[in-house]
Amino acid sequence: MANVTLPFPFPQHLELILPEMIIAVMAMALLMWDIFLPKSKKNWIAYATIATCMVTAYATILLTPAASMTTFYGYFVMDPFASFAKLLMLVATVFAVILSLDYMKDEEYLGEYYCLMLFALLGMMLMVSSNNFVTMYLGLELMALSVYVLVGYQRDVLRSSEAALKYFILGALSSGMLLYGITFLYGVTTSFDFATIGTRLVDANDSAHGVVMLGMVFVLAGLAFKVSIAPFHMWTPDTYEGAPTPVTAFISVAPKVAGFVVFMRVLHDVLPAVQADYTMILVFLAALSIIIGNVAAIAQRNIKRMLAYSTIGHVGFVLLGLIAANEAGYAGALVYLTVYLFMNMGVFAIIILMRRDGIQGELLDDFSGLSKVRPGYALAMGLLLFSLAGIPFLGGFWAKYVVIMAAIEADHLYLAILAIIFSVVGCFYYLRVIKYMYFDDARVDFNFIESSLMKIAVAVTAVAVTVIGLYPDPVIQICKQALVGLI
Amino acid sequence: MESLHNVLGFPILSLSIFLPTAGALLIWLFLKNDNAVRWAALIVSVATFIVTLPLATAFDPTTAHMQFEELHHWIPAFNIHYQLGVDGISMPFVILTSLLTIICVISAWRCIQTRVKEYMLAFLILETTLIGVFCALDAILFYFFWEAMLIPMFLIIGVWGGKNRVYATLKFFLYTLGGSVLMLIAVIAMYFKTGGSFSILAYMDYPFDFEWQFWIFLAFLVAFAVKVPMWPVHTWLPDAHTEAPTAGSVILAGILLKMGGYGFLRFSLPMLPDASQYFVPLMVGLSLIAIVYISFVAMMQTDLKRLIAYSSIAHMGFVTLGTFMFTQQAIEGAVINMISHGFVAAALFLCVGVLYDRMHTRDILAYGGVASVMPVFAAVMLFFCMANIALPGASSFVGEIMVLIGTFSADQLYNFSFSTKWVAIAATISVVLSACYTLWMYKRVMMGDLVKDEVKAMPDMSAREFMYFVPLILLVLWMGVYPLPVLDIMHVSISNLIEQATSSKLEDAALIAQSAAAAHITGH
Repeated sequence: MANVTLPFPFPQHLELILPEMIIAVMAMALLMWDIFLPKSKKNWIAYATIATCMVTAYATILLTPAASMTTFYGYFVMDPFASFAKLLMLVATVFAVILSLDYMKDEEYLGEYYCLMLFALLGMMLMVSSNNFVTMYLGLELMALSVYVLVGYQRDVLRSSEAALKYFILGALSSGMLLYGITFLYGVTTSFDFATIGTRLVDANDSAHGVVMLGMVFVLAGLAFKVSIAPFHMWTPDTYEGAPTPVTAFISVAPKVAGFVVFMRVLHDVLPAVQADYTMILVFLAALSIIIGNVAAIAQRNIKRMLAYSTIGHVGFVLLGLIAANEAGYAGALVYLTVYLFMNMGVFAIIILMRRDGIQGELLDDFSGLSKVRPGYALAMGLLLFSLAGIPFLGGFWAKYVVIMAAIEADHLYLAILAIIFSVVGCFYYLRVIKYMYFDDARVDFNFIESSLMKIAVAVTAVAVTVIGLYPDPVIQICKQALVGLI
Repeated sequence: MESLHNVLGFPILSLSIFLPTAGALLIWLFLKNDNAVRWAALIVSVATFIVTLPLATAFDPTTAHMQFEELHHWIPAFNIHYQLGVDGISMPFVILTSLLTIICVISAWRCIQTRVKEYMLAFLILETTLIGVFCALDAILFYFFWEAMLIPMFLIIGVWGGKNRVYATLKFFLYTLGGSVLMLIAVIAMYFKTGGSFSILAYMDYPFDFEWQFWIFLAFLVAFAVKVPMWPVHTWLPDAHTEAPTAGSVILAGILLKMGGYGFLRFSLPMLPDASQYFVPLMVGLSLIAIVYISFVAMMQTDLKRLIAYSSIAHMGFVTLGTFMFTQQAIEGAVINMISHGFVAAALFLCVGVLYDRMHTRDILAYGGVASVMPVFAAVMLFFCMANIALPGASSFVGEIMVLIGTFSADQLYNFSFSTKWVAIAATISVVLSACYTLWMYKRVMMGDLVKDEVKAMPDMSAREFMYFVPLILLVLWMGVYPLPVLDIMHVSISNLIEQATSSKLEDAALIAQSAAAAHITGH
């Protein structure tokens, strides 16, 4: 065999990228398989997607190193922190696929739908494994472009197209802002690498302070857009309402996880030199998110819109953990995202079940009397809503507890008090859904299309929030261990 | 870790807490038929009551130490423990809860016909959370039960309540939650101050300086004042009572309100003695407003349940008054008052329930002359009206007279900025006022000519209805005539509480601050 010499050394530890490889290869393979599948069998692709996610999850767990390891010449990092985020996103994707099975089955081009989900997942996995702005931006755009298409998937439905367009325009704008901010930071430090920027910023000349501030503000704004932190939340309600409900479920969880993981890496690795400055901004953003999210949700009649505002409130809470900037805070943010994954997926699963012949099932009224017709779903929905409201014995209580505890530990007492008071305000709109389900009589017939997979998904989420609520210690411990790589 | 004090050798408190929920789970999984559910719920609640009885029989009244203790790790990440224990103050409430739950189950036998299963499940789960509140010795565990209680109560009022139930139950939920979230912040702040502990007993020993006590007292005050409820955060109670189903009102008046008074005794007084002393004028002022002003408000009510609700607020005013007098009689009187009010208010709401089941109205003016068609019921209701007025021989008399004596004599022990004699005199006025509104209500409902046809058709009490009044009558009489056993149980615990509440923590706090400053200097 001829002696082949590469123009560059072969990358070490290439196996670390195996999970991403699986996703990428499977996404493309499924795309081709789709051509040969008759329309009646498109669901196979969905099942293949679920299987892919499970295999990838298994690979991710196996490949998780005890400490940070990099490949591709340091451009791709694998650590427990990234692994944990990947697992969350894989679980979220599995849920989203299960939620799509019935909801999307009459749509055209189903094969592409599931493949786009895999591509979005791939982008997010790259994001959380990035330790420099180039990989991060690459992953971010792959995720964003796939998600724009997913949001607009029902192209014959006006609001779906509208949602996609709004999301695309504002998303592109925010990506531009992010890039713009990165250029400033690059200008000062001549590096894209998180850690290198971080150390060079510490040593940076005082005269560069203005440029660093500018870069920081743009980077933070760009990231805040992606995780819908107020005042960069404008796209959220319209997109949530217009997107097909399974896609709403997907984008309400997975990109948030990816976004916050990047957020944490950027804050912790890139910007420690300006911690006082970014804390000031983030305190303002968190307070605004919690206030706007919880107050605006009260006025909503459409439950998807309501949940969009509720998301804005919840990301404000996650931000509390980031502001605390200590171990408890970062771990708290992860706990919050974990619990939030189950709560949101469960709630959206039930919203999807509410869609039945001719009724969208998205108005609050549509839930009237659910407890009499389907006590099981009503109970699950009730548990999930009480959990979102943060009432104990449910997981949501501990999610709020850990971040508030971290915020108090970091001396942000006033922010903690504000957050907790507005969480009481937030209770109102969750309780209102329970009011419709339990206190009112049914006004229309319920004609559910229920698959057993959906039932399992609902049961899993309800049981998960209850179990986490009664015994949260394992989740908290895992999230603490998952910080290896960040701290 | 010091050894746990549990003479029984098995986790009786956990058993009492989780037996109702375990029963509820079994009912949920295996029973369909309404009647079977009723009987099963009755069996579970009676079993729970029997399980709680050894608490009284094996209780050692000679020690203020926590008894029947249990301690396990729950969330090691935050040093949160599953720590239970009762003393002479909390133990009676545990038994009161398990007793009233039985009565709630029986009283719902006929009048709840829709969603019987959910109703019974809600009550059994509620019992778990209520007993949990009284047993918890870890602040987060306490908060956990305290808030979890809202979920079943929200559903009880909202699903089985009256016309305006949605408004009432949302108001109840948001008021109580809004009050208690600040308690969570206070508890977390105390955790960091004490160096990482959520133990209620550790908080009692830790010397907080005055500024800390001041703010934490206020945070606790909001939580407990909403629950008691004290004026001016009492407005949720009349609404909640009016709309709640009978048994909901019973448990609300009987147990839920006591959680506020219990909170003051378990948290504010022993943990924050200096702030408690400092805030005495405020607490006394609010209590007097509750006692006198709310009594006048009660007089003006035309809705039976609303009247009793306001009378509850007035009676709870006695509890908060007694609590903040720091004398043995006053605090014992406050606790007796809480227990007694648990019987009397519960019984009065049951009386209204009996009337409501027949006429489906709570309007006082819709009745009149009921005594001539329901003689047995008239006698029962008269008994409890007299108990509500605190006539000698009834348990409430013991409670109120002790609070009044304790208040009157507090001057001799402590140097308040005002004369407690006048406070006692002002509070005594309300005894007259409570006679006014209670007897007037009785007169308008029971006496007079029998003119209304609907009233003429009312049948007297059934045996089942009579049955749940019997234990209450006996208990009210027993505690009214011979309260010594109950007083004995709480005597030592309350002496200990008073000692904690009257010994200032400020000197120790100053010492700690000094040594910290010294360490700071030498550190440099």
